[in-house]
Amino acid sequence: MQKICFQLNGEKAEAEIEDYLTLLEVLRDRFSILSVKEGCGIGECGACTVLLNERPVYACLTLAVKADGCDVKTTEYLSKDGTLHPLQEAFVKSGAVQCGYCTPGMLMSAYALLQEEKTPTEEMIREGISGNLCRCTGYIQIMEAVKDASQI
Amino acid sequence: MFVGESLERVDALEKVIGKGIFAGDLRMEGMAFGVIVRAERFHARIASIDASEAIATEGVVRVLTHKDIPGANGYGVLKKDQPYLAAGYIRFFGEPVAMVIAQNERIAREAALRMRVDYEDMEPLNDPFLAAASTVNIHKGGNLLCRKTVIKGDTKRAEGQSHVVIERTYSTRRVDHVFLECEAGLAFPDQSGRITVISSTQNIHYKQKEVSRLLSLPEERIRIIQAPTGGGFGGKLDVTVEGYAALAAYLTGRPVMVRYTREESMLSNTKRHPLYMNYRTGAAKDGRLTFLEAKITGDTGAYASYGEVVALRAAVHATGPYQVPNVHVESSMYFTNNPVCGAMRGFGIPQTAFAHESQMDLLAEALCIDPLEIRKINALRKGSETATGQVLNHSVGFYDALKCIEPAWKERKKTGNSGFGLGCMFYGIGNTGVPNPSACHLTLMPEGKIGFHLGACDIGQGSDTVLTQILLETLGLEKNCVLLVKGDSDTTRDAGSSSASRQTYITGKAVFEAGRKLRSYLEEKGIDKGRSLKDICSEASGEGGPIFDGFFDPPTTSLDPVTGQGIPYATYAFAAHMTEVEVDPATCVCRVKKVHAAHDVGRAINPDAVRGQIFGGVAMGIGFALMEEFIPSRSKSLYSYYIPTSMDMPAVETYLVEDQEPTGPYGAKGVGEPALIPQGASIMNAIRDATGIRGFELPCNFERLCLLAEKV
Repeated sequence: MQKICFQLNGEKAEAEIEDYLTLLEVLRDRFSILSVKEGCGIGECGACTVLLNERPVYACLTLAVKADGCDVKTTEYLSKDGTLHPLQEAFVKSGAVQCGYCTPGMLMSAYALLQEEKTPTEEMIREGISGNLCRCTGYIQIMEAVKDASQI
Repeated sequence: MFVGESLERVDALEKVIGKGIFAGDLRMEGMAFGVIVRAERFHARIASIDASEAIATEGVVRVLTHKDIPGANGYGVLKKDQPYLAAGYIRFFGEPVAMVIAQNERIAREAALRMRVDYEDMEPLNDPFLAAASTVNIHKGGNLLCRKTVIKGDTKRAEGQSHVVIERTYSTRRVDHVFLECEAGLAFPDQSGRITVISSTQNIHYKQKEVSRLLSLPEERIRIIQAPTGGGFGGKLDVTVEGYAALAAYLTGRPVMVRYTREESMLSNTKRHPLYMNYRTGAAKDGRLTFLEAKITGDTGAYASYGEVVALRAAVHATGPYQVPNVHVESSMYFTNNPVCGAMRGFGIPQTAFAHESQMDLLAEALCIDPLEIRKINALRKGSETATGQVLNHSVGFYDALKCIEPAWKERKKTGNSGFGLGCMFYGIGNTGVPNPSACHLTLMPEGKIGFHLGACDIGQGSDTVLTQILLETLGLEKNCVLLVKGDSDTTRDAGSSSASRQTYITGKAVFEAGRKLRSYLEEKGIDKGRSLKDICSEASGEGGPIFDGFFDPPTTSLDPVTGQGIPYATYAFAAHMTEVEVDPATCVCRVKKVHAAHDVGRAINPDAVRGQIFGGVAMGIGFALMEEFIPSRSKSLYSYYIPTSMDMPAVETYLVEDQEPTGPYGAKGVGEPALIPQGASIMNAIRDATGIRGFELPCNFERLCLLAEKV
């Protein structure tokens, strides 16, 4: 067992955890952050993407103890103040959501990209979400949404 | 007002703020977790099962085998031949043998590893041709599941009158659905002993019937609720986790969650059927098709699932969207010791499209006719007769779809390693030659809203949104007047499965009918004379609450069992895709650069949603043509089975043809599967244009393309 303290969506979080638990398990089971989805558990699909110190990581491949002292952000952070983030708004408007299972992870990858580059090129957007699989949309309306959000 | 508008999805908001709660996210007090123990054998007898170590594990609640099943140990959409838990005999790698129920997932998974199962191995039959010739029977009735035929005219005589005859054999491989959300479901008994299952599914009422048979309980003792579903594509039509969760909840008296890992999903989930297709197609000098003979052999794997449906659909659609006066198609499905193949987006037609579209290009080449021209010459149009003898009297927008892509086709310019190809399709909406009804109903709620009771499952394709648009248009009311009550077998009627591209057309028409009844009721009650909906609703709930039913069953006929003649579908969707590829001559890696996709959807109720279906279909078509191949016992997860990423996507130009279908709601048909069907075929024709190499086997990945290039 190990105690970890970290910032979770801007607030202080603490947990006593077994050191073999992944960040995915701890976020879901201890903190009820259910936007973090498991799609494969082996770092291939990106459905569990969260930000660890502003960088996107696969929560299923990240041991929770690694989050100690770090800043963790999930999709819940984006609309924390009660209004939609421009990315979320663009996802709704552009038809970027179909089944929605990849959406939270996709949003976090897109958010990380826009944090780094305010007006990314189409190629940068394409690369920025390439670690997130989507089986429904063919990615096109997702890429359009990211572009729209970047111009706001 | 609502139809033809790209309204935002009704569920988009909750999904972007992280509040999309899927079945695997559910929690309940006292919830146990169930894990399925699977055989790692292709074909075997179970010699013994030793559960003692697993049961002795602290936290294990119970271990179940087939002996614990109170009702029928068999499910399947047509034939109930697939056991929930093997009764002594293993027919495929991954077949469920036992179930371990424990206090939590970690314990359940650890205990499942302590199950000891001994087998006596048998020779596996891993190929449909071997299965056809073998004296070993996988099932008692033999290895042939079914043979479907479509026979029209006289192909032998027509062959004599043909200027050119092309004969080739095409084959495709198994494909996994890879919905992003793996199968999950939570079942629990209530105080009266009724069993409720909340799961990721494409059809609640069908699953209610299956669980009722499994538990030997009347249907009204079973309640199935659809959780938001993370993709289906046909893979959540068969019973997946519902049976196991329900069985465990029934036997333990507590809530039980069953949630598959990706590895479990890939082991257990049905696949797209591999088809082997021998085609002989003849044409006259002017390019008109004279005859088509096709012999299609399919591998349905260990159990029937949708094998019969795929065999029939492949036969009925074997000609593609063309007029062929003489047809002889024989389509057979065999049992093998491979994974169960079932429904997957297109039901066999993406496979046959690869064959008939390659044939069209080969004929064009032999006759020195432009590939687009030969398709225009033969295109099904108003008044044409299909291979089953059905005369198409309305909503036949195929020629218009070809005209949409014609400018791009004419302006195409080959540079360097690029190439261009066409792919076309037609697709019958709804089930084939059988009744295929949908029902829904509307109520007036005391708070002044209309209760929209909808049993259709939105699996991401957007049926909730599109059907709401149809209702609002019919009612002529504001958006916020309707409250969707959906996906619950207790409160909704059977709207059939979300499959066969049928929900917009069939359930849409049922919604339209219900809406019309309610509209006239509201008019009677003075809605147009200033009376408020709230007022009418509160009066009506005092009356005991009128119900407004909607029902639609598309007009079809059954097919002649020998000739396959008849009217299998009330309407068809049509599409033409043009694809540009670039093939690196050194690595044989094919990149799809641009797609022009024209679809006759009858009427686009929500154009953005239609485009979303087309984009997703293009992506899946790229996977089907270039990368996806499920190899039993080797394709384990997404590291050994690849699907397209954003880096694989081309630019896609969409063209919507709206040749309205008179029996459809506001003229609509369907687009879910049509979006995918022609894509693989158009890529293969483009590769031929780019490289001079024609592939006859899918997926045409770079390894296969390199081998073909070496042979040239």
